[in-house]
Amino acid sequence: MALEVPLGRLQRWLQEVVVHPGSAEEAVAAPAARAFVPRRRVGEVILPSATLRPEQRLGIYHGMYLLRMEEALESDYPALKHFLGDDGFRSLVAAYVRAHPSRSYSLNFLGRHLPDFMRDAPGLRRSAFCHDLARLEQAVAEVFDAPEEPALRAEEIAAVPETAWESARLVPIAAFRLLGFRYPVNAYVQSVRDLDHGHPALRRRDTWVAVYRREYAVWRQDLDRAGHRLLSDIAAGERLGAAVTAALRRGRGRRPSAKDLFRWFRGWMGAGMFRSVEIG
Amino acid sequence: MGHRHSSGSNRWGLPDLGIGVGLRTVHFAHILTHHPRVDWFEVLSENFMDTGGRPLHVLDQVAERYPVALHGVSLSIGSTDPLDREYLRKLKGLAARTRARWVSDHLCWTGVSGRNVHDLLPMPYTEEALRHTASRVRAVSEVLERPLVLENPSSYVEFAASTMTEWEFLSRLAEEADCGLLLDVNNVYVSSFNHGFDPRAYILGIPADRVVQYHVAGHTHKGTHIVDTHSDHAIAEVWDLYRLAWRRTGPAATLYEWDEDIPAFDVLHEEALKARAHREEPVAAGTAHGA
Repeated sequence: MALEVPLGRLQRWLQEVVVHPGSAEEAVAAPAARAFVPRRRVGEVILPSATLRPEQRLGIYHGMYLLRMEEALESDYPALKHFLGDDGFRSLVAAYVRAHPSRSYSLNFLGRHLPDFMRDAPGLRRSAFCHDLARLEQAVAEVFDAPEEPALRAEEIAAVPETAWESARLVPIAAFRLLGFRYPVNAYVQSVRDLDHGHPALRRRDTWVAVYRREYAVWRQDLDRAGHRLLSDIAAGERLGAAVTAALRRGRGRRPSAKDLFRWFRGWMGAGMFRSVEIG
Repeated sequence: MGHRHSSGSNRWGLPDLGIGVGLRTVHFAHILTHHPRVDWFEVLSENFMDTGGRPLHVLDQVAERYPVALHGVSLSIGSTDPLDREYLRKLKGLAARTRARWVSDHLCWTGVSGRNVHDLLPMPYTEEALRHTASRVRAVSEVLERPLVLENPSSYVEFAASTMTEWEFLSRLAEEADCGLLLDVNNVYVSSFNHGFDPRAYILGIPADRVVQYHVAGHTHKGTHIVDTHSDHAIAEVWDLYRLAWRRTGPAATLYEWDEDIPAFDVLHEEALKARAHREEPVAAGTAHGA
C-alpha cells in the first residue's frame, strides 16, 4: 500500500533525509523528515529491493551527499584540507554545509562563505590561520573564473603623455585581488603545492599578496606593506600622483625609494594587473 | 575529424555526430596540443556557465574545431521549485556561444525549497509527476528555442506511489512535452539491477525516433546494488544493450562517459570507439524483436 504524498512534500522529505548529518536511519526519524513522512510509514513510500531495506536504499543518496560537498570544497581549498587533515576537513564541511547549503545551480559557489564561517567556527584549531588561508584560496578561485580582460599593452602605456601621469588612474583587470593576512599563508600554500612538508612556521606575521591572472594562469605575488598600500590606493581609483606622494610620506615601516617605485610599477605593469589608464 | 556526420534517425533530423567523449579538465592540454581525431565533445554546461577563465577559453577553441553538445546536471526539471530563469538564460547563451547541436539534462530533480543537493534525485512515476514535468519541459524548450533532450537517470530507490515504469514515464513525457531522449544504456543496466526489471524491456519500450544521443559508461558493483560511477570500462552486458538499442533507433551520436579516475585521453577515446564495432555486430538471438 502506497502512502499518498504530493510531489512537493515528497521532494522536501527526501531532501531532508539526504542532507541529514546523521545516518539514514536517524535521518528518517528526525523531526525535519517526519514533518513530511512519519517514520513508521517510510516503507509505504520507498519500496525495498531484493537486497536492501528502504532506509538502506535511501542511505545510498544520503551517503553521497557529503562526499560530493567535500569534493567540491576540496577543489577550491586544497591547502586548507591539507592543514586540517582528512577528518578535520570532513568535519568542517559537514558543519559548513549545514550552515550554508548550496543554493545555486553550480557547486562553484558553494565555498563562498567558508572563510567567514571559519573565523567564527567553534572549536576549530588555529581558526585565525585557517581564516587567512581560506581567504587566499577563495581569492585564487575567484581570480581563476573572473572575466577575461586584455591587460594594458606597452604601447598604450608609452602613448600616455609624461605630464598626464600625475593625474592618471590605473584600472585593474577583473582577475585581480589584493589581500593582507596575519599569517604567512602564501608561503604555506606554496609549500603544499610543492609537496614540501617543511611548511613555514605558523607564527603570526603580517603578509600581503596580490592574486591575478595572466594568460589564463593564476599568480600569487608577495608584496611588502608599502607596496601593498600603494597598490591598494591605485586599485581603489586614487590618482597616481596622490598615491605615490602618500606612499613616500607614510611613516610606518620602510619608506619606498624611487628605485622601489620604479621596480614595483614595472613589475605590476609587466604582470598585466591593469587593463586601462584613465587620464584627466 | 574522424566521422562524417550523417542525419540521425530521430524525428528532428538531429545529426549522428559519431562517437564522442566528455570534455574534461585533465585532457585540456592534450586536446589543444594534439587535436585528437574525436568526432565530437559533450560539455558539462555548469562547468562553463560562470567562468571567464581558462575553461571557457579552452571551450571556445574546442567548439571552433569540433561539434559540441551541452549536457547539464542542474536543470532540475522535476523539481517543484520554480524554474531557475537565470540558469536558463546562461544555458541558452552557452549553447549559442558553442553552437551546441543540442542541450540535454536528466529526468530528475536536484533540490527543493531553494536548496541544491547536486544529485540526480529520482522522480516518482505518477500522473502528477508526469503532468508537472511535462509542463516544465515545454517551458524550457520554449526558452531554449529547441527541443530539450532528457536522459534516463540511474536510481537507487523506487517509490511505492509509482503507477508506471520509468520507460513508460519517459515515453509519455517525450510525447506530451515533445522532447528528445538521451538513452544511457549503462543507467538502464544499473537501474535494472537495483530495481529488478528486465533492461531489454526498457530498451524496447523507448520511442526509438526520439533518441537523439546515447551514453555508455562503466559502473561500480557493490554487491547489494550498483552505483553509476562512470569510473571504468563498460561491461559486456551494457554494450549488449547499446547494440540492441542501436538496432531500433538507427544512427545516433554516442558518448562514452568517464568521470572518476579519468584515464589518459587515448585510453578514454579507445573505449569510446568500441561503440563502432558494437554498432556493426549482430544482436544476440531473441534480443531485438518486439521493437
